[in-house]
Amino acid sequence: MAVLSTFTNRWVDYILKMLFRSWFVMPALLFASGLDLCAQTMREYEVKAAFLNDFAQFVEWPADAFVGVKNPIVIGILGDDPFGDSLGEIVRDENVDNRPVVIERYQRVQDIKACQILFISQSENKRLEEIFAGLKDRSILTVGDFDGFAKRGGMIRFVTEKNKIRFRINVEAAKTANLTISSKLLRLAEIITPGKD
Amino acid sequence: MLQNIPIQRKLMTANLLTSGAVLLLTCLAFFAYEVLTFRQSTVEKLSTLGKIISANSTAALAFDDRDAATEILAALKAEPHIVAAGLYGTTGKLFAQYPVNSPAAFPSAPEQDGYHFERGHLAGFQPVMQSGRRLGTLYMEYNMGAMYEQLWQRGKIAALVMVVSLLTAYLLSRTLQKQISMPILALAEIANAVSKQRDFSVRAVKFGEDELGLLTDAFNQMLAEIQKLNATLEERVRERTGQLEIANKELEAFSYSVSHDLRAPLRHVDGFVDLLRKQSAEKLDERGRRYLDIIAASARQMGTLIDDLLVFSRMSRGDLRRAKVASESLVHEVRDALQGEIHGRIVWKVDSLPQVEADTAMFRQVWANLIGNAIKYSRTRDPAEIEIGCTDSGNGEFVFFVRDNGVGFDMQYVDKLFGVFQRLHRADEFEGTGIGLANVRRIVSRHGGRTWAEGRVDGGATFFFSLPKTTN
Repeated sequence: MAVLSTFTNRWVDYILKMLFRSWFVMPALLFASGLDLCAQTMREYEVKAAFLNDFAQFVEWPADAFVGVKNPIVIGILGDDPFGDSLGEIVRDENVDNRPVVIERYQRVQDIKACQILFISQSENKRLEEIFAGLKDRSILTVGDFDGFAKRGGMIRFVTEKNKIRFRINVEAAKTANLTISSKLLRLAEIITPGKD
Repeated sequence: MLQNIPIQRKLMTANLLTSGAVLLLTCLAFFAYEVLTFRQSTVEKLSTLGKIISANSTAALAFDDRDAATEILAALKAEPHIVAAGLYGTTGKLFAQYPVNSPAAFPSAPEQDGYHFERGHLAGFQPVMQSGRRLGTLYMEYNMGAMYEQLWQRGKIAALVMVVSLLTAYLLSRTLQKQISMPILALAEIANAVSKQRDFSVRAVKFGEDELGLLTDAFNQMLAEIQKLNATLEERVRERTGQLEIANKELEAFSYSVSHDLRAPLRHVDGFVDLLRKQSAEKLDERGRRYLDIIAASARQMGTLIDDLLVFSRMSRGDLRRAKVASESLVHEVRDALQGEIHGRIVWKVDSLPQVEADTAMFRQVWANLIGNAIKYSRTRDPAEIEIGCTDSGNGEFVFFVRDNGVGFDMQYVDKLFGVFQRLHRADEFEGTGIGLANVRRIVSRHGGRTWAEGRVDGGATFFFSLPKTTN
């Protein structure tokens, strides 16, 4: 993060100097602050993309979750894709238990076919209950990053604490979906029990 | 190296050296085995522990959770010998460490996987893997000090055991070696007594039926044998000496009487040949007179022979009357007396000669024989050279010699020179009876000396005889 921002700052300095000479100081400053914010968001989703990919290693799916032994692990994105190219980059040469990892993007819950990890975008906030109903009885690890995601029945929610990305896990929801989440992952997470607090 | 020390010490040294070497080797082997096993098991233990820690920390590394990783590493405090541990991410940066505020210096970047020993520490790296993917590296450092402390303790115990063992071995061997050394010592003592006191009546005591017992038996048997032989030997020597003395006396009496009794008939022969020549010479022809001459010459020769035999006999029988004799004047006297026989020129060389203790008449006989021989056998030389001298042999003897440049003799026959009637030359070459040198030998040996000779054919001869300086 720090490296990136230093790099960005230098880049900004360079542009500033160029623009200052050209009497374009004010618009450039505005542009730069917007850029910084944008970079931070990009960085956040890069990390989340990496985590999303890593979940595959710490979650066990029941045998019937895959069609065949060599079938890929599918990471689905429901709604707007906040990751850009970063997720694609990460999963390109990924291989978990001899399965490749592929990305699929969906707009509607009905489109979801073979899928192991589903990232539910913030855009689906309002339709969340409907989505969960549609995914009932399917062994899909649901991941989201908006408030109340885990409490409302999502399995893993990304939270940002002290500039770090952590997660909350709804163990009950995962159990209901026949998923086993590794205790190693659980010890890093905050466990959420729906209905309580 | 043990050759010259007493047998008891030898046995004990051998015992102690053997047991000491065995103990030392056993201890060394044991320690080497201990150290190796200990090191191996420590590596195994550390690597197992590392595997557990690695397995537990995969999620923390994957999800970049330093707190969780630190917490996982903190579990290592259950093993107090682990002094440092660290997790490195895939980028090679230190991600979490144990203890949290560790004074230990961590390697700046992970090195090759595996553990190695370094200055009393075992340290190394092992991979953190999850589903075949490498998530990072675990570093651990184990203090081997405890192990070395333990080994040191064991070493002290081993040293104590060794000391006690050696002490026991010492006490045991001191008792047990007696089984072997006692009979040998007893035997040695007896042998020593026998050789010193010549007492063959003692017997060694037998301790057992082993090889030493056999040795003792054999030794005793030999002693008995020697004792018996000794007893009979003395008896036999006395007997033989008596017999020899009698035989010798008889022989001497016989030869004396023969020589003496031979003279009477010989005088008759001589006398009547003389009478015959005076009264009947003209009645005989030339041949008859020549026969008479031959008979007279033969009778004279026989007379000389008998005279010599009588001298020889007297020299053997007569008592020695020792007196101080001035050798030098005696030699001159003898030489002058023999002047009549000298035909040619003689170069004399007489050294100063010492005074000796001897029977004067006999000593004169010795010189007369030796000088006479020298003159006789060098008469073909012109000039003849005769040297008479004396040397001090250094072991209480005077050695006299008479050297000439005469016809000499072949050393092959040197043994025959001093025998009675032994002659190396024919009588028509050099006259003589063959008794002279036999007489010399007899007289010298009666004085306690020896006789010998050196010579070469046509190269002269030297006759030596020795006389003790003092006589008891």
